[in-house]
Amino acid sequence: MNTNKKSSQEILDAWAALFSRAGLENMKLEGRAIIEAGREGVHVTDAEGRGYIDGDSAAGIFNLGRRNTLLVEELKCAMRETDQGNFPMISVEKARLAQALSEFVGGELDCSIYSVMRGETLEFACKVARGFTGRSELVTVDGAYYGETGFAMSLSADPQNDKYGPLIPDVRLIPFGDIEAARESITTKSAAVILEPIQAENHCRCAADAYLIELRKICHEKGVLLVFDETQSGLGRCGEKFSYLRSGIEPDMLIMGEALGGGIFPIAATIITQRVNEFLNIHPMIHLSTFGGSDIGCRVAKKALDIYKELEPWHNARRIGLKLRNGIEAVIAAHPQTILSIAGEGLLMSLEFDGVEAAQAFCRRASANGLLLSRGRIRRETVMLRPPLILTDADAGEILRIIGESLA
Amino acid sequence: MSSQCCSQPSVMSREEVREIVALFERHINRGQVRYLRAGHLDVMESQRQGVHFTDPISGRRLIDCFSSAGSFNVSRHNPLIMKALEEALEKYDLGAFNRISEAKIALAEKLIALAPDGLRRIRYAAGGGDAVDCAIKLARGATGKKKILATVKAYHGHTGFALSANGKEHYRHYCEPLMPGFEFVPFNDLNAMSERADSDTAAVIIEPVQGEAGIFVGTDEYLKGLRRICDERGIMLIFDEIQTGFGRTGRLFACQHSGVTPDIMTIAKSIGGGIFPNAAVLYRDSETLVNFVESNPDFHVTYGGGSDLGCRVSLTVLEYIEENRLWENAEKMGARLRGALEELREANPKIIKEIRGVGLMVGIEYIHEFMGPMMSDALARHGVFAAYSGNAPQVMRFMAPITINDAEMDALIEAVRGAVKDMKTLLPLALPAAKIPGVLKMLNNERFQTTLFGALRKFEDGAKALGRPFGRK
Repeated sequence: MNTNKKSSQEILDAWAALFSRAGLENMKLEGRAIIEAGREGVHVTDAEGRGYIDGDSAAGIFNLGRRNTLLVEELKCAMRETDQGNFPMISVEKARLAQALSEFVGGELDCSIYSVMRGETLEFACKVARGFTGRSELVTVDGAYYGETGFAMSLSADPQNDKYGPLIPDVRLIPFGDIEAARESITTKSAAVILEPIQAENHCRCAADAYLIELRKICHEKGVLLVFDETQSGLGRCGEKFSYLRSGIEPDMLIMGEALGGGIFPIAATIITQRVNEFLNIHPMIHLSTFGGSDIGCRVAKKALDIYKELEPWHNARRIGLKLRNGIEAVIAAHPQTILSIAGEGLLMSLEFDGVEAAQAFCRRASANGLLLSRGRIRRETVMLRPPLILTDADAGEILRIIGESLA
Repeated sequence: MSSQCCSQPSVMSREEVREIVALFERHINRGQVRYLRAGHLDVMESQRQGVHFTDPISGRRLIDCFSSAGSFNVSRHNPLIMKALEEALEKYDLGAFNRISEAKIALAEKLIALAPDGLRRIRYAAGGGDAVDCAIKLARGATGKKKILATVKAYHGHTGFALSANGKEHYRHYCEPLMPGFEFVPFNDLNAMSERADSDTAAVIIEPVQGEAGIFVGTDEYLKGLRRICDERGIMLIFDEIQTGFGRTGRLFACQHSGVTPDIMTIAKSIGGGIFPNAAVLYRDSETLVNFVESNPDFHVTYGGGSDLGCRVSLTVLEYIEENRLWENAEKMGARLRGALEELREANPKIIKEIRGVGLMVGIEYIHEFMGPMMSDALARHGVFAAYSGNAPQVMRFMAPITINDAEMDALIEAVRGAVKDMKTLLPLALPAAKIPGVLKMLNNERFQTTLFGALRKFEDGAKALGRPFGRK
């Protein structure tokens, strides 16, 4: 073990040299250049002993709080009793988690494919959609963010995408929320329609129920698969178990993010219907993941699902989310030139600032005042507020106080 | 074992296993079970320890020669690696991908200290595919060029960029069209690469030893030649060391055999110590690469990779490999295994076509495709778990944990001998049949194999249930 303990400055310097100096500068601009020492619940302590509320949850991973003690214990047990496992093989852990996921999600979504992170879940969904339908066109909406790997990136709205050469072909972009465009563009040539019901990184743009219902109808008529990415909105964050549940319709594939592993183990999943899974029953093993579906990860995720079921944190997310939102709206009313707007559902919120620099400056001041935040990946002038779902009223009060103090 | 742990049974009844298999079939995939069953790969793994796991039905100990495609180099349930995770859990969780931590820096410094000379910068990733996608984005972004030269039968993973560089039709077919600009040239063929490497080429990506393809070792000459071509033409050389890394081939990284340092190197699998996912991309601090990263510091963000828990585990994995000089054991044990297999080949030219490999990354190629699943089955009876390649079933990989000791290697070699002997008793039946037009093609057909071997397994299970042993054991 490393016995020479580095000072915080040495760690930051090492980061600049090994990872990126510009990256470090960006972190400093956003008040993210802190070294996490302690983590507990909704709180983080840095190497100097300063306390923070984690208002970012690593882009919505820590739904159940930092270092959730039940999950820590489960991981300890799991690693004594099992290990990663040989990835293609049948295991108790994989089977039990898949059973639990089917129960948890409900409806026709009955089968699970595991991944290690967001993005990989979407790669799988796109590939299976193409295989299942025998069509290649992937329809998605503008302003999306699905991840950093090939398919995920090809469907995302990152303006930097053109730096990486030609990406996945046959991707069709339609305007978000536009039912007419959807009717015209989704055809019998389309394999799938893919979207986030709440575009978290795009100033939490929410799809109207009517839009989702209409997409479901069109997809049904044209034999197209409907894919919802609920990486950030799912598992309670938006004030529902999953945000699509409000619309009363169901996708053919549902993407869950790393919140599934409760911030203790990296695991994500794509949940699909039996009908879609028929394709994989005929063509098994065409998509593999060494780390996805680790037996240890499955144990942790199974425990996390138990906690989600017992705690039903979506109720708290809805209640506290509303309280925070009301509080922030009062702040906006008092300081209309600072935060231009607030959007989102439950504890998935986004604050709009007048430009990137204003957003960065706000993050920096909030960090100095004890609240860690980060900006949206698509709308770079927005700041995301997505704390753990176990936030208490007192924590919410503290967040409001810091937000108020951090406005210029 | 702590009392609060709901311990997993080391022995399971047939009913319990049936229940789990049924759940797996219903909620994960029925086709996968069918596929595994055909090759006798449908065992569950209990008591994972060292180089072994136990089949919970028969209680039989099996030497794990698959190692999750090379993920268990430091052995299964290595107590030191577990201790590292347990200690890390006192303080850490995954941490934040968008912040800095002590754990991330400690691992980065260790990796760079041990990596091939010249690789001085790093990015984390969550797994092999994520790392390869990151590497190709880095190469395309930094050079501003689009063409990627990969090799025939290459295996780099299942994410968009990695799959586009995958030279196997089997994995690509249903997912196409993939990214334009990817071309494939035969592996170990320097001329072919030289002809295709042009001014529009961003990168050449290879596995120094092709794993999934069936263990083909890139020669020193090949690797050196690639380096020269890439240097001359401003092309990024990417080595995918996801399977070959962490001592597997007799060096910490396979490219260290030839002394060739790539511009970008991807690592995953064994970096996680068999318990915690992690991966990384190491790259040279050349002007082209560094300028690009400094202009685009967020060019590839990873959410599950480089976690604080993962980094503590990976750091201990590296320390363990280094302290025990495990690559030396891989070299020694690999030589023993390859020697023994070579003898078997000489004695059984109608069964074994070729032995390939380096260190403990060893492949057997059988004469016919149908022999792969048959051997998997025979080996399981002799206490060895070895998988044939999914889409090259005549090839079987032997990638036991590189901690394997002499006695375990003796047992492994003995088991392979026994399995080959069993095969010989079946061949008088299969080989003449294979001469009938169409039958060999049928035997070699993956779907047919799945059906036939699946049926055989059912017959065998039926026979067992009646108390009549089938086969030798």
